[in-house]
Amino acid sequence: MSTQLNIPPMKRAQLVLGNKTLKEITDDICAPVESFPSKGWMALFVSAKTLFLFYILTIAMVVATGMGLLGVNHPVGWGTMIITFVFWVGIGHAGTLISAILFLFRQKWRTSVARSAEAMTVFAVMTAGIFPLIHTGRPWLDFWLFPYPNQRGPLWVNFRSPLLWDVFAISTYATVSTVFWFVGMIPDLATLKDRAQNKIRRTIYGALSLGWRGTAKNWSHYEMVYLILAGLSTPLVISVHTIVSFDFAVSNLPGWHTTIFPPYFVAGAIFSGFAMVITLMTLMRMGWPKFKDYITIDHMEVMNKIIMMTGLMVGYAYGSEFLIAWYSGNIYEQYVFFVSRAFGPYAWSYWIMICCNVVIPQLFWFKKLRRSIPVMFVVSIFVNIGMWFERFVITVTSLHRDFLPSNWGQYAWSMYDTAILVGSFGMFFTIFLLYLRVFPAISIAEIKPVMNVGKDNDSDNHSGSGSDNHNQGGH
Amino acid sequence: MKTQSPDHKQTLNDHKRDHTYWKSFEDLNDTPEFKQALQTEFMSSPLREESINEGAESASEGDKWARREFLKLMGASIALTTASGCIRRPVQKIVPYAMQPEEVVIGVSNWYTSTYFDGQEGLGLLIKSREGRPVHIQGNPSHPLNKGAVSSRAQASLLSLYDPERLQGPKRNLLNEKRTNKETVSVSWEDLDKKAVEELKKASVYILTGNISSPATQAVIDDFNKAFGAQQVVWEPLAHDDITEGQLASYGDSNVPFYRFDKAKTIVSIDADFLGSWLSPVSFTRQFSSARKNIETMNRLISFDSTYSLTAANADLRFKIKPSMQLTVVMGLISEVLVATGYAANEAIKTALIPYKNAAEQLKISQESFKKIADELLKNTGESLVVAGGLQTKTSDSLNLQIAVNLLNSILKNEGKTVLANKGNNRLNASYQAVQELVKKMNAGLVKTLIIYRANPLYALSKDLGFAQALKKVQTIIYAGDKMDETAQFCHLIATDNHALETWGDTEFASGVYSIHQPLIRTMYDTRSFQLSLMTWAYLANQGPKRLTSHETYYDYLRDFWKEEMAPKLAKGKDKEKDFESFWNDLLQSGIIGETAQTSPARNFKPEAFAHFKKRNMGSPLELALYTKVQIGDGALANIGWLQELPDPVTKIVWDNYACLSIKLATELKLNEGDLVEVKVHDKRINLPTHIQPGLHDEVVAVAVGYGRRAAGKVGNGVGEDAYVLATLENNKVLFSGLAVELKKIGKHYDLVTTQGHDAMEGRQIVVTATNKDYTKNKSANIHRHHTWSLWSGHHYNGHKWGMSVDLNSCTGCSACMTACQSENNIHVVGKKYVMQGREMHWIRIDRYYTGDVENAETVFQPIMCQHCDNAPCETVCPVAATVHSSEGLNEMLYNRCVGTRYCSNNCPYKVRRFNWFNYAKLIEKPMHMSLNPEVTVRPRGVMEKCTFCVQRIKEGKNIAKTEGRALKDGDIKVACETACPASAITFGDLNDKNSAVAKIFKSEERAYALLEEWYAKPSVRYLSKIKNNDKLTSKGSHA
Repeated sequence: MSTQLNIPPMKRAQLVLGNKTLKEITDDICAPVESFPSKGWMALFVSAKTLFLFYILTIAMVVATGMGLLGVNHPVGWGTMIITFVFWVGIGHAGTLISAILFLFRQKWRTSVARSAEAMTVFAVMTAGIFPLIHTGRPWLDFWLFPYPNQRGPLWVNFRSPLLWDVFAISTYATVSTVFWFVGMIPDLATLKDRAQNKIRRTIYGALSLGWRGTAKNWSHYEMVYLILAGLSTPLVISVHTIVSFDFAVSNLPGWHTTIFPPYFVAGAIFSGFAMVITLMTLMRMGWPKFKDYITIDHMEVMNKIIMMTGLMVGYAYGSEFLIAWYSGNIYEQYVFFVSRAFGPYAWSYWIMICCNVVIPQLFWFKKLRRSIPVMFVVSIFVNIGMWFERFVITVTSLHRDFLPSNWGQYAWSMYDTAILVGSFGMFFTIFLLYLRVFPAISIAEIKPVMNVGKDNDSDNHSGSGSDNHNQGGH
Repeated sequence: MKTQSPDHKQTLNDHKRDHTYWKSFEDLNDTPEFKQALQTEFMSSPLREESINEGAESASEGDKWARREFLKLMGASIALTTASGCIRRPVQKIVPYAMQPEEVVIGVSNWYTSTYFDGQEGLGLLIKSREGRPVHIQGNPSHPLNKGAVSSRAQASLLSLYDPERLQGPKRNLLNEKRTNKETVSVSWEDLDKKAVEELKKASVYILTGNISSPATQAVIDDFNKAFGAQQVVWEPLAHDDITEGQLASYGDSNVPFYRFDKAKTIVSIDADFLGSWLSPVSFTRQFSSARKNIETMNRLISFDSTYSLTAANADLRFKIKPSMQLTVVMGLISEVLVATGYAANEAIKTALIPYKNAAEQLKISQESFKKIADELLKNTGESLVVAGGLQTKTSDSLNLQIAVNLLNSILKNEGKTVLANKGNNRLNASYQAVQELVKKMNAGLVKTLIIYRANPLYALSKDLGFAQALKKVQTIIYAGDKMDETAQFCHLIATDNHALETWGDTEFASGVYSIHQPLIRTMYDTRSFQLSLMTWAYLANQGPKRLTSHETYYDYLRDFWKEEMAPKLAKGKDKEKDFESFWNDLLQSGIIGETAQTSPARNFKPEAFAHFKKRNMGSPLELALYTKVQIGDGALANIGWLQELPDPVTKIVWDNYACLSIKLATELKLNEGDLVEVKVHDKRINLPTHIQPGLHDEVVAVAVGYGRRAAGKVGNGVGEDAYVLATLENNKVLFSGLAVELKKIGKHYDLVTTQGHDAMEGRQIVVTATNKDYTKNKSANIHRHHTWSLWSGHHYNGHKWGMSVDLNSCTGCSACMTACQSENNIHVVGKKYVMQGREMHWIRIDRYYTGDVENAETVFQPIMCQHCDNAPCETVCPVAATVHSSEGLNEMLYNRCVGTRYCSNNCPYKVRRFNWFNYAKLIEKPMHMSLNPEVTVRPRGVMEKCTFCVQRIKEGKNIAKTEGRALKDGDIKVACETACPASAITFGDLNDKNSAVAKIFKSEERAYALLEEWYAKPSVRYLSKIKNNDKLTSKGSHA
């Protein structure tokens, strides 16, 4: 205060580029929903859909014939389905983190990625949610996992089982994140309804917008509900993957029975989720070049920083597991970490994990690299591979060599495992591609209030006066 | 789950009852009766303590179902019926007997005594029959040889009864001139008999049989021989002609003596796998381990072996040799002990011993150790036993070896004490010599009709003998067997024999020890016993002694045979008063008459046996050792899945045979596990996968026979390679071992499938081993006990609390328990492909670990079943509570409730849980389903299963006690694995009964330890540490 330093005032980077008018914003964002699909989209969709159908067929065969088609065996009782389940649940985390936690922290940059990140969450949880149901030996009896009054005694579920907590955690998370995502979309759906050129479109979007009129009262209620839902979702970001980690941590298997699992799983989930957001956003920017004005390199860079940070956290967890294994003096745990994982028959999977999750994200220390779209795309793919392998390492390597060496075995990977893993991507991308064509991929209502962030003061008037009857989210 | 005490509830109710609304006057007036009714109505719950209602004292109390509960259960069953309709379970009708047979009560099993004989081993059996069909085979506890123990093969023979490929009636093969086509047609018994009699009348009849253990069958054959001037030829693939010839040469009588392993303090085995596959391993195992129960006085087993047999695996001291060294070992020991015993050896013996002065050097064993073995034998004169035998010893020196062993036993005064001639078995008279002579006669055209009964020479007989070619010169071949096997395909007529479980018979497994072999089921198909076939042909030809032609059935013949010949002999003295009827009935009930002997007059060794003594086999750089596996034996039962999937006790490999090579040899030849290698003996060659066997001699290739069946059936065909083809005729003798062999790497890989993923214990406390010296210092030697504590007081068991102990010092790893469990609990066979994927279903498994250095690896075994933990990790993680703790400490598996998350298996530290990956039950081919135990659920797809501690047997035992109005006694309940175990290693019982054997072990046995104790699952199983009786002879000191 006392000394006047000649430093130019800190200037924020613009959140929306291109000096858009309000109408331009609406037009840009509605364009994918209102135009005929491009060849690129069609190609992606047809391949994703084919994969999805193939996935349904595989599941049908597994349900009809038995779990024996997959590589699960004795001693490796859980395999591809649980690994891929944890993988997809993890992917889901970034969406809620962006939309809820960053909302509560008033991180304005979140607005342009929040919608799609949250859609990704919902679809990832949907994809994940199928696995616990089909991985059981008798999927037609899965309803027994839900506690409901019944005529069998009544016979209740076992509330001590982490798998049951999982049922609650996943279903709660799926419900809350779906509602949060949908509520956030209501004003935009009304916009779409208003812009609709035909009756069917008008009716459908009209119904979906739940009678939104854009009144002050509407807005007041909307803001409150959104805030409450954000508050509800925030603990779920932490709890869901914590509980998923309990599936492992609560059991007594060396390599699973670890207190570090909850934070480690959450960090890993955010890590993989952001990587998936990067992957998807890169594709969206390619598909609709206009989105580059909304999802800017700055956005991508921020997310890359988070990837790097969570990657370091995950790396720290990998390291501390060794420390704890050594410090515990537990010979079984020491065997898992010092012999079996890093140097055993599945050492390749461990080193893929280390490479993809710890080594490769270190590229983001360099500003140039973390602002390069091709680099971040490749890195994000590697992180996704690495995070799948992390779950593979945890599940399979712990099970394949446990207490009594006579039990030791290998996972008997079969073509059905491949089909299940690849097919789940088919399901996810089919739904995500459809979403891009049906809902506005960026929140129109939320982007408009932040369009001036980082702009010079003198341009304020310009953008203000540029608004015509396209108010925030319709009339 | 506990019901609250009624008093407590009463007080609560007193306070709470409000009479604004009332349902009856009793309610309004609040009478004591009403209150009582109110209590009792809700008192009874299906979850009440089970043991409250058991035993005489309280049988009537609280046993009545309250109306409400009755309605609840009714409702539940209706709901269940509807529910089952929804999931489309097959509707099956139960039709009651229109005429209930006497003694058959539906749901109650009947047990019958019977026997089992596989050509060398004889066992007294007790067979469980449910609703008229045999479902489980156990040993007969009154039989003096096996005393309730039973082998895997005897138990698995049950499945051969229900084999879908068993022949269902008489057949005729339409053989062409060259006898190459194999078209088979069914014929009627009348046609077959007519044709057979026609041929038999032409004389020159020969009967080729295996060993006949039945006096009555032998009588039928003898009568038949008289009728048609026929001759009997006895041959077995595993003939013990070396023993019989050796006995003949040494003592002048050609029987197989009875051995007393329980009386021997020092046992030296030279390739005699008496615990696994030699002679009668079940009774030998029983004897052997009974002498190891008391650690202070336990016996010592010293094994010199060329194949890593089960006996080798259980040896206190083991020396690897190659077959050509067998004689060196015995002769070396003789020369070490000869002087000290003061035996007056003749010149021939002395001359024969000259080359063996430095036997230890020749054997590459330290002089000191070898001397110590000799000293040990000398010290225990009359209480030691030297045995040699089996295919491994069928070298060109086999007769010399037997004579030398006999001499050694005689010098050591074991003859008459541990080697008993008078209770030997003179019915094991099969020999290769006899079949060689038969071939000569066949070639000379002297055999017009050949009857083959239960022998399979076209599979198991060495090709060098030319049996197949000679067979073409026989006009008519009649086959009496029940499968279209390798031999049956070349026979003209197939007089389809009954299965052993369908036929009457008698047996004599040791001189003077007789049993009656009872059938368990009426003939399932249009088959006829061999004996009756012979009788019928004699009758139709109207030839032969009267008793042969005058009986209508073999049963009548048998009874009259016993009435006239056996009963007068056996029923002397105390039974003199009794009539034959009660003698017969007593015999059927006990299943046995006669005793085994304690001693026998010592025979004098005939020194002239050494007159022509000359070592023939000078050894080769690489020698073949053929051997028999515990589970497959000679290969006759190769079509039984239980046996094929039973892991070899030592290698743990299933569904295959292989060439065992030492680590050094495999490294030299650059062979890895499973690499195919060509095994060549003279001009004979087979391709086998390599198995690298730690502890094998570097110059030995060990291969099991009994595999590579071509016509055993769907299960057994093409499993492994036929190693009988390597047997070679040399100097008029069929040799199995000691032959020079060449190996050639082929460069292809073959998957050998094992049930055990890892062979080392990784320094964990899994199988605790100590030596006898350790034990004298500290009975808990090498057991590291952990301090464990818990915040929770744990479950309380007010009634029974079931527990088990497994004595690792007794367990030999023979795996009979695995088959017993498989049979008792309807456990499926999954096949090689799925075992490879880790999906075998055994509820009890035997873990085998190697210890020590790899070149001389020692072996330990550990049976692992569900440990029924008090703090069971599986129970807490099941989301649907499908695996729960019973009030009696059992970890119960509710198949109905299981949805199959497999979390329980992941969380089980012992990994004893097995998952139904596919719908195995659907694959059971008729009539195999008849072998299923109706007391145990056949599990559907997608559910977890595991050892239940034979909960059905627990229930049955409790029911019996309850019906008889008495409390349950220790020993009332015996689980399946415990019953089968020849070593009595498994003890099961009630831990809450302070006087039960198992409770005493838990409380005071110092060798007892809980597996993974520090993990605090609190298992209900204790293992007793293994003691190796070896420190006196090795300088290794203690073994960890």
